Formats: sequence, structure tokens, C-alpha cells
Amino acid sequence: MTMAPQPATAPIIPTKGEAVDPVYRQIRDLVYKVSGIYKAEEKLYMLADGCGRRMKQLGTRTPREYWDTLTAQPNRDGELRQLLNEITTGETCMFRSQPQLDALRKVILPEVVAEKTKQITKRLRIWSAGCSTGEESYTLAMNMLEESERLLKGWTVEILATDLNDRSVEAAKAGVYGDYALRSTTDYFKRKYFLAVDDKKLQVRPEVKKLVTFNRLNLQDDSRMLFMKGMDLIFCCNVLIYFDGASKAKVVNHFFSNLNFGGYFFLGTSESLMNLNDQFHLVHFPGTIAYWKPSLSSGRL
Amino acid sequence: MTTSFTATIRERVQRIDTMPAIPAVFLPLLKMLSSSTEEVKVDEVVRLVSYDNTIAAQCLRVASSPLFGLAQLPKSIKGAVISLGLRRVETILLTCCLGQAFPAEKWLLDPAVFWRHSLGCAMVCRKFSEKLAAADGERAYMAGLMHDIGFMVNCLVFSKEFTLATERAYREEIPLDEAERATMGFTHCETGQALAEEWKLADDIIDVIAHHHAIEQSQAAQPLVALVHLSDLLCRMRGLGYGYYECHKVDLIAEPAWAILLKEHKDLEGVDLVRFTFELDEAVEEIHTLVSTVFGSASALART
Repeated sequence: MTMAPQPATAPIIPTKGEAVDPVYRQIRDLVYKVSGIYKAEEKLYMLADGCGRRMKQLGTRTPREYWDTLTAQPNRDGELRQLLNEITTGETCMFRSQPQLDALRKVILPEVVAEKTKQITKRLRIWSAGCSTGEESYTLAMNMLEESERLLKGWTVEILATDLNDRSVEAAKAGVYGDYALRSTTDYFKRKYFLAVDDKKLQVRPEVKKLVTFNRLNLQDDSRMLFMKGMDLIFCCNVLIYFDGASKAKVVNHFFSNLNFGGYFFLGTSESLMNLNDQFHLVHFPGTIAYWKPSLSSGRL
Repeated sequence: MTTSFTATIRERVQRIDTMPAIPAVFLPLLKMLSSSTEEVKVDEVVRLVSYDNTIAAQCLRVASSPLFGLAQLPKSIKGAVISLGLRRVETILLTCCLGQAFPAEKWLLDPAVFWRHSLGCAMVCRKFSEKLAAADGERAYMAGLMHDIGFMVNCLVFSKEFTLATERAYREEIPLDEAERATMGFTHCETGQALAEEWKLADDIIDVIAHHHAIEQSQAAQPLVALVHLSDLLCRMRGLGYGYYECHKVDLIAEPAWAILLKEHKDLEGVDLVRFTFELDEAVEEIHTLVSTVFGSASALART
């Protein structure tokens, strides 16, 4: 009996629970340095998986060889971008970060509401920047609706959702989702805020849609960014990674100006702002972090 | 707090006679750890530990955890000392001894949760110290491990009052020390201090136990107290707290403790706090495993 020969270019990819090649830790550190995305030890196999897909396409055999492609070859920036695409796609779904939502409803909203009540304003503006197909935007809308009879009684809530990609914006407006996007959504929310389209898909109800306005926006377009004023909360998850250092800093500075004093800026769960802006305060909540633009009354400006 | 109140706490702590499970090596070990490194001899540690097979076996298991940096189980305490260094083995021993120093049936908190927090804080203190060139990692570990021993005292001698305080903390989602102060008029810091003095712990460790929620009052070791305070907060924000949702925001850099630590360790400025937080997350699962290894029997007993 003869064994089928292994293709010479089949990369060696570890699976969950298996020890990973130490090179992946170097790649993890490089990815963090360039993008602020940190793949924790238990998620290294996901990074290895992404590298594996790239290695297959490039015909690279070992992780060490791939490391050389990422660091020494002339097209290293392009390759790093390809890798970032690999490790961040498919991450979006409704209710992706429960600790973020808990912090929002239990700590941040009461604080922002108290602060704005002092200014006799009863309007809350939230921006989902880089909203993709709308999962995050509608998740926020549903959570705000949950508070509409309590903390936000008598308040006007406005959620602006923007993305560079026209097709994503159109899909977001339709608000139709399948099992994958709804994998973290509880039956309670499904029953209360969705309508069945067919036996596989659900569509968000009109009262949820009413809260969200979708638009196409390029975060690099300075003139339009200047108009996005008066935000209380900005969510920008896994978007900044696609910008180079200078553009990233510029966009983050815009976000800081776009926020009201006392407002909050959220990144993705394993994402860091690193040293892009020293005006934001890094703040911790149980299980999540955010960036805070200190309120005028806090004396922390 | 009034002097008479302090005296009452001290008196009740002195009357504690319900620590039967305390391993014989615990207090001599503590004494040894409090003396300067040069005085501690490897053979003395090995001799002390050999009196207690359970402690010795546990120590070897803990030493093999990735958290302590050994990939293989060392065969003997001496072997562990050679691979890990004397000071690290001492802190491991301390961890195991402290785990046994409490009668399981007296727990009011979930012991697994308590140990995860204490061990987590110890690990974070050490990791934090590794980022600061002039900090003593093993000392910081010891301080982190011991900082909340006042909760043990509360369980033993103020059980009724402490039950009310924990219920209030869970219900109102407020920090445990706030609930203690509001309900009992004192906290685990005062009761812990009384026990630490009774055990004749070193001044810096007593300072940490007494003042980790009020750094401005600390005198003996302010930077160490500040380090424990920040590590404690970070643990409570990253799944190593007291097992309930603490509804508050933590701005570590705006904490007075940060400024105190920065004064002593200029390199704190260069610490990437977000990355440090993500790294801490990596250790959480291992801490859970370690706690069930070392303190598993105590947790199981307390639930029965």
C-alpha cells in the first residue's frame, strides 16, 4: 500500500488545545504593535489558523518562513493587511460583548444620564462607526429600548451607524439575520425585537429600525468627520486596524472632538488604542475597557 | 474608627482558637520569609516542608503550573528550589500553607472565589513588579496573597455582621469594603491588621493588609500598598473579584495609588496598561485550575 504523498506546501497548523509554535507569539506581538489587536494565549490557535490560510495561499511551508514574509519581504505591509483581514472577519454578531453591554447599561448610562440631566438635555446620541452589516447598531438599539421605560424614560435616543462599504450599509438597512449573526442573542430578545422572515432568518422589528440611521461615511473624510458632533457614545470595533499609524491617530482625534465631555469611546474587545491619543482616559469596567473623555465636572481634564 | 473599637477587634482576634487546620510549618515559614533573603537557607526550607507531606506534594503540583514557569513537575522540593529559585518556592509554600490555614466549615464567602482573588492578586502583583525594574516581585506576590486575610477573621469572629455586609454588597453591587463599612462600621482591613500583628508579620505586609483601601494612611511601605491596591482593582475588573458584579468604573491612572507608584518607579509610565490587562486575562483560566488543585478540598468541604 502506498501512502498519498503530502503536498510539499501544506502548512503545519495547530488546532485548539495543541501547543503552538513560539513564532506565533512573535506574530501576535507584531500584530499588536501594528494594529492594537491582541490575541490572548488561548486564542493563539485562531491566529495560527489565520496565518495557516495565508500560508496556504502563498505556498509557505513553515511559520518561521511566514514570519520572514511578514517582516523582511518587500510586500510585508500588504501581507500584514491580508493577515488582519483573515483574523478579524466573521467576528461580528449581535450581542458580541456582553460585558460591554453590562457596563453600558449598569454604569455608563446612569452616569451619562445624570450628567446630562444637569444640563437639562434629554437627548442621547450614539455613533456606531464602521457598523458593517448593522449587528452592533441594532444590538445597541435593542438595549436602549430596554431602558426606555426606566433610565431613558422621556429621552430621545438617536443611533447613527456608518460604514464605508455601500453593500454593508444596504444589508444593515434590511436588518435580516441568520443563525450565525444571532448565535449570542437570547430568546427573550429574539421574541421581543425580531420578526420571522422564513424558518432560517429573522428581521429586526420596525421600532428597532426607527432608532437607527444608516449612512455611508469614510472615516478619513475630514470635512464630514467635523460634522459628526455631539456624540455621547462612539463604538468603533475592529475598524482602526485597517489604517496606518498617522491616519489612525487622525481618526481617533476626530472621535475625541466628536464626543461630548463625559462621553465614552469603545473599541473591539481585544483592541487597544495604544498611544494614539493621550487625552482619553482608559477606564475599566467588569470584563471590559473603554476610553473616557472626562466630564467638565470631574476636574480631570 | 474609635480606639475602643480597635481594641475590641484585637481582643476578639486574640481569642481565635478555631484555626486548627493551620499547618505547623506556616508560622515558622512566615517568620523566615520576613527575614532578609541571605538568612534563609535552602536546607531549612526543605527541612520545614518535609514535616508536612500534604504541603510538600501540593507545593510540587503548584510549582509545575505554567504560572510559575516550569513545564515539568519537579521531583523534590530541593529540585524545585534549584529550578525556580528559593524565593519563588517560598512564595509557593506560603500559598499552600495559607490554603490550609482556615477551617473549611467556617467560610461565609465561596472559598474558591476568595482564593482565586487572593492568588490572582498575588500573580498580578508579581507580573506588575516584573514591569518595574526596581520592584521586588516575590515580596509583591506575598503582599498580594495576604492582603485580604481580614476576610478570614470576619468569617471566624464577626460572622453575623459579615454575612449582612456581603448580602448588601451583592444586592447593591457595591465594593465589599464599602458594604463592610456601611454595615459593620469597620472592614477586613482592620480585622486583617489585627491578625497580621498577632502572627507578627513584617511591617510592610501589615501595612498592605491594613491600608490597601486607604493608601494615604500607609506609612511603612506606601509603594507596595499602592501596587497591591492597583492589582486588587484590576483583578476585580477582570473576572478575579468576589464573584459578583461590582457596578463601578475604575480609572487606574487617576487613582492616587498610581501617582504614588510612579514617584517610586518612573518606568511605570511606559507600562501599556491595556496589553497588561489582556495578559492578565490569559492567566485567569490557569488561576482557576491552580485554585482547584491547591484549595479544592477546602472548597468542596465548605459546600457540604
